[in-house]
Amino acid sequence: MKRVLLVTLVLGAALTVALPGAFARTEATQATPGITSNTIKIGGTFPYSGPVSSYSPIPEGMKTYFRFINARKGPDGKRGIYGRKIDFKTYDDAYNPANTVQLTNKLVLEDKVFAVVGTLGTEDNLAIRPFLNQRKVPQVLVSTGASYWGTQYKQFPWTSGWQTDYIAEGRMYARWILANAARQKIAIFYQNDDYGKDYLNGIKQGLRSKTNLIVSELSYEVTDTSYASQIARQKATGADTWILVTTAGTPTVRALATAKRLGWKPDQIIINSVAATDGVMAAAVASVGQDFVNGAVSTGYLKNNTNPKYAKDPAIRSYRRIMSKYAPAGGVNIRNSFYYYGVAKAYDFVKLMYKAGKNPTRASLMAATAKMNWVNPYTLAGVKIKTSKTDRFPIDQGKIVRYNNGSWSEISALYKGR
Amino acid sequence: MRRYLSVAVGPALFVVGAVVVALLPRFMGEFRLLEFTFVAIYVIALLGLNILTGYSGQISLGHGALVGVGAYVAALLSLGRPGLELYQLDPPSWIPLGDGMRPVFTIPIAALVTGVIGFLIGIPALRLGGVSLALATLALAVSFPILMKRFSEVTGGGGGLNLNLPETPFGWDISTRHWLYYEAWVTAGILFLAAWLLVRGRIGRAWRAIRDGEVAATSSGVNPALYKTFAFGVSSAYAGAAGALFAIETAYVNPDTFPVSLSILLLASAVIGGLGSLAGALFGALLFEFLPIYSQEPPIFSFHFAEQAPSVVFGVFLIVIMLLLPGGVAGLFRALAGAVRTGRFRRRSDTSELA
Repeated sequence: MKRVLLVTLVLGAALTVALPGAFARTEATQATPGITSNTIKIGGTFPYSGPVSSYSPIPEGMKTYFRFINARKGPDGKRGIYGRKIDFKTYDDAYNPANTVQLTNKLVLEDKVFAVVGTLGTEDNLAIRPFLNQRKVPQVLVSTGASYWGTQYKQFPWTSGWQTDYIAEGRMYARWILANAARQKIAIFYQNDDYGKDYLNGIKQGLRSKTNLIVSELSYEVTDTSYASQIARQKATGADTWILVTTAGTPTVRALATAKRLGWKPDQIIINSVAATDGVMAAAVASVGQDFVNGAVSTGYLKNNTNPKYAKDPAIRSYRRIMSKYAPAGGVNIRNSFYYYGVAKAYDFVKLMYKAGKNPTRASLMAATAKMNWVNPYTLAGVKIKTSKTDRFPIDQGKIVRYNNGSWSEISALYKGR
Repeated sequence: MRRYLSVAVGPALFVVGAVVVALLPRFMGEFRLLEFTFVAIYVIALLGLNILTGYSGQISLGHGALVGVGAYVAALLSLGRPGLELYQLDPPSWIPLGDGMRPVFTIPIAALVTGVIGFLIGIPALRLGGVSLALATLALAVSFPILMKRFSEVTGGGGGLNLNLPETPFGWDISTRHWLYYEAWVTAGILFLAAWLLVRGRIGRAWRAIRDGEVAATSSGVNPALYKTFAFGVSSAYAGAAGALFAIETAYVNPDTFPVSLSILLLASAVIGGLGSLAGALFGALLFEFLPIYSQEPPIFSFHFAEQAPSVVFGVFLIVIMLLLPGGVAGLFRALAGAVRTGRFRRRSDTSELA
């Protein structure tokens, strides 16, 4: 009997936590959901847990920047944006699109956010895109480089991207290869899905008439556990430039380890920017050694916050100041470039909201996404955040960067991917 | 009189439940309706799992994969070949896809297909028991997302498939959310009754006999092979129906929607709700739906839990239930009901002593 009572107590406590007020009524609808005289409520879903939880500093970086904006006095003397403070509500979807759908429904229907900002993941954004467009809720600055957000703006006018997309990035690699040695023999190892094919298309578009430089393009399935046969074949072609279109984590490290095991060290290894993160590079070094990885090349459009070259750069200094003053309790590792990515993105959101006007509406926000034209100090010098009625890619430039002993240095001029 | 009462309690509760479900939408906002629609979907899935694990005693860590099968069948059927062409997909012609079907009709077909697959899985499963069966079904759960990515010419691979956003059919004059809510709950109600009939009849008795002692059951003339594979088939059909409704409600399927954690959490919810009791499916479904969302942000107190809280809370629940009350929440209610009845007896005997 005591057991029963104890469990009843525990369950009762749990129910008060877990069961919502099932009979809560809906509030009266406001003129513009999420906007009051002193707040702007926005939301997004991110993988705080699960296989790609390494991206979780991104929303924290965004929130930290918003806290800074809410505290500082803006150009009109008011805190926040025209006197409105930003309230960014985030949920964990564990990278599972079904969770993204439910949680985004919650953001729109229950939390009544003004816009969905920065949601992470290509499939996750694909899952919510029809719903958000049907309800005319802005889906902006999504955290994915798929080309869809920029190419399908006519069918989905309420959706808009941010970062340099994969096709543009592929074109940049092609251009760099052509400029550096037109005789290079290129081997491409890519993941057999939309992400991999986006890059492949970009590379071929960038090579234009010189696609015959590609001596091998072989794919792998996410489910494959061994790439030995493909990589052995690529080694046999005598290629000297190897482009890895592999997702972050195991595929990238496995590809490099397989090449090393087969005794193949191409003169130039190119690693796509999705995989070229601090964590993956460190794992690669642990697996194949520093020498194998040094010299690998990727692209970047943001200043590298750990590069000593930028130690005195005003943007990096402001990043460090903002992080140390407004970061979440518990301290953060500000060297993690995902926080920096979040800050850079948040900067552009704030700019968009200013452009949306003193009395922003969802329509005015989307109109602003088609008229972006400014410089984001957190991006590389020369990068312009620019969109127009026909160009819906806010960032389409980048520089080739080379990896050496834990940091990336810029080795090319600024390329335009589109 | 008391015997009539105790027999009538079950059906009475069901009727009360049905009335509550029918009236609930009046008091709820749109998002709450969505959440309760998912509760219905999980009730169906957990009924199936309960039949397999609770009644026939076969552990399955692969239920999520079967839900996924139902979801993909429903998605492919409701998009049809014309819909798949928009994704540049051209499945082989031996797969009988039509021109796109009304989503509500995909539910029984998905249930049937998944049921057959489950039955076929049940055949080799006869040779396994206990931990081995758990591992084999876990392999199912692990391989499902991988298989969906592998056969991307049919399934759309990692990018997944967007179904058409749901619409009220036949031009009926109710909102789409309400239609989906009633569609899910009516299906859940029908399947609940079907499960109840199965479980209280000869088949259910055979299942329980097999669960409690296979050798004894065989010597009583029960054919374990037949009933066990049948249990797998029925359980999978339920999973398939749940999957189809899931696809219709979410309007998006992709391999990452059905990861291993889905199978594990379904089993955990079934256990917490109460195995061996159909009502346990309802408690488990409520938990499965509301805990992950509201442990991130409890509505009563306004402080903010970590976003990673759900898994921790789930785990704590599971441990508490396993230690203190193996019968789950349903078992708790049964114990409370029993305690009330015993209390009445005790009072009787007290007064008789005084007299």
